[in-house]
Amino acid sequence: MIITLNRKQWLTGAFATLALALQSTTALAVPSFARQTGMACEACHTVWPELTHFGRVFKANGYILDNLKQVRGISERKNELLSLATLPPLSVMVQVSDTQLAKPLPDTQNGSVAFPQQISLFYAGKIAPHGGAFIQLTYAHDSGGVQIDNADIRFADILTTETGHSLVYGVTLNNNPTVQDLFNSTPAFGFPYAASSAAPGVPFGAQIDGALGQNVAGLTGYVYLNESLYTEVGFYRSAQQHSLPLDSTAAAVLSGLAPYWRVAYEHTWDRHNLSAGVYGATFKLFPGNGQALTGPTDSYKDVAQDVQYQFAADHHLFSLQATRIREDASLDATFQAGVGSTNLKNTLTTTRAFATYYYKRRVGGTAGFFRTTGTADAILHTPAGLEPNPTASPETTGWIAELNYLPWMNTKFSLQYTAYSRFNGRTNDVFYDGSGRSASDNNSLYLVAWFAF
Amino acid sequence: MKNIIRLLVACAALASAAPALTDEPSAEAMALAKRVVITTCGTCHGVQGNSEQPKFPNLAGQSENYLAAQLKAFRSQTRGDADALAYMWGMAAPLDDDTIQALSTLYAGKPGAHGATVTNAALVARGKTLYLEGNVDQGVPACAACHGPDGHGVADFPRLAGQHAQYLLKQLDSFQTNMRNVAVMHGVAAGLQDGEIRAVTAYLESLP
Repeated sequence: MIITLNRKQWLTGAFATLALALQSTTALAVPSFARQTGMACEACHTVWPELTHFGRVFKANGYILDNLKQVRGISERKNELLSLATLPPLSVMVQVSDTQLAKPLPDTQNGSVAFPQQISLFYAGKIAPHGGAFIQLTYAHDSGGVQIDNADIRFADILTTETGHSLVYGVTLNNNPTVQDLFNSTPAFGFPYAASSAAPGVPFGAQIDGALGQNVAGLTGYVYLNESLYTEVGFYRSAQQHSLPLDSTAAAVLSGLAPYWRVAYEHTWDRHNLSAGVYGATFKLFPGNGQALTGPTDSYKDVAQDVQYQFAADHHLFSLQATRIREDASLDATFQAGVGSTNLKNTLTTTRAFATYYYKRRVGGTAGFFRTTGTADAILHTPAGLEPNPTASPETTGWIAELNYLPWMNTKFSLQYTAYSRFNGRTNDVFYDGSGRSASDNNSLYLVAWFAF
Repeated sequence: MKNIIRLLVACAALASAAPALTDEPSAEAMALAKRVVITTCGTCHGVQGNSEQPKFPNLAGQSENYLAAQLKAFRSQTRGDADALAYMWGMAAPLDDDTIQALSTLYAGKPGAHGATVTNAALVARGKTLYLEGNVDQGVPACAACHGPDGHGVADFPRLAGQHAQYLLKQLDSFQTNMRNVAVMHGVAAGLQDGEIRAVTAYLESLP
């Protein structure tokens, strides 16, 4: 799900830009939740996958609200030991797309049809009296196989007082930092909800911004006070990539546990909902890719802020999401190896802001900008195999405009235009190879049809 | 005029035929309902029954019989307005009669909304006239005849005082189109003009 528009490849020396958008997974709401709750999409979503306040509460409570006939088991003291829907909450999502670049990439055909771009199978719903799961298996044409996608398995319960206060508390086991978050202003479920796998994506991003998705396992605990104050802390650890135990053939392997934290506050009044928060993590990574998983590590300290505003009337829906992620990297391993980076310390800052409007949840659009800036680093930011360029920086700036039409609640057609004013720190010759490709040559028009059922 | 008389007669007949309150809910059901109000219903309707979001109706101080009847209508999928389908059919499906009664008792016992601040006095005044006197020319009876002069409801007829105008607007529209199929209210709403609906809902929202 996560659109990994950006993934750091500097540890390997490979250049993400040329690898195109590396992982075009998709954020989604799933009809199995509707099957389980008996409620239409609009209860939990403005337009999927953006969550309403009710949707956030549903997620925090562990996806357990249900109205299906259950298979139950209880103890002699009436404690629930089993509660399973007689029919499993399964869903399928199919995505078909077409991408047109402003200028074809070298030695490629323009107009890339992906059929499918992605097919996903979800188990999304209650799995126990106080437990639920959102597990996605995805076949994507670019990976050529079926792989685990986002997963979030959680336990939650709630304390209440006579005066009406509530405290939801829970634990989530997940495989992508922020996939468990309740707000659409954090990376995993942030806009754009779909991205082309045939167009160059933003080449550099922070670790917390999708880079580690599906390669880590996280265990975090959270509390949600009065459906307003959300706090969460926990840890991530590298999980299997291709084999276990992890060895030097793996890339970006966490050393020990990486702490993750999150605080957000939301307020609902009249037709409005406003939330603001901070989140972050510190990752110590062995570069791997041939280097032993011992010795110094590259350290990334990510600190981010996010804000979301939602307005929901019967006919008009408006929302705004923005986030700013700052990463301070100390590349002790990569720098000391002498081949991966020019600098020991780098910074990277990503800012994104998007505004969305829908009329009657059927016709709408989103517009916004993205910008990544950071320290110039000749080795890190110059494509592999080329002479390191001292001016090579991660700066990439652009905007996205998207039109959407939903003939039915579970079918969406999106036309997305992405324009770059700067790519890899440059406006021209953005691949540093003398080919003269400009940033705007990477502009893309992306048509995608989503079917979820 | 005939329509008005017919409606008033129907109204009186329904009021007099209102069944006595069902049995007291069990202590177990009340305990469950208290928790459900906080953990589920309250997210949209407010834990105290006064919703922060005008899309969702206030339930505090509402007629107990009316609340129970609506929950049962959601459960049996006989109330057919759009939001009922989208939200309440699923919500009410697992509720048994005892829990429905307990939830209704709980919300009925909470103090009703204070009434919104009046921002358009002329509109509210027009609504007040319509509410108390109806519109004889168009065959619209006085709402107060069934819902009470103070809007607090009578027997099975629901409380309207302090209710969100946005919610009331949508309900009147649903009565007009028969998506919410209530014969009495279809008859009343059919004669209402858009301006009158805005006026009477603004007035009701302002009532304590």
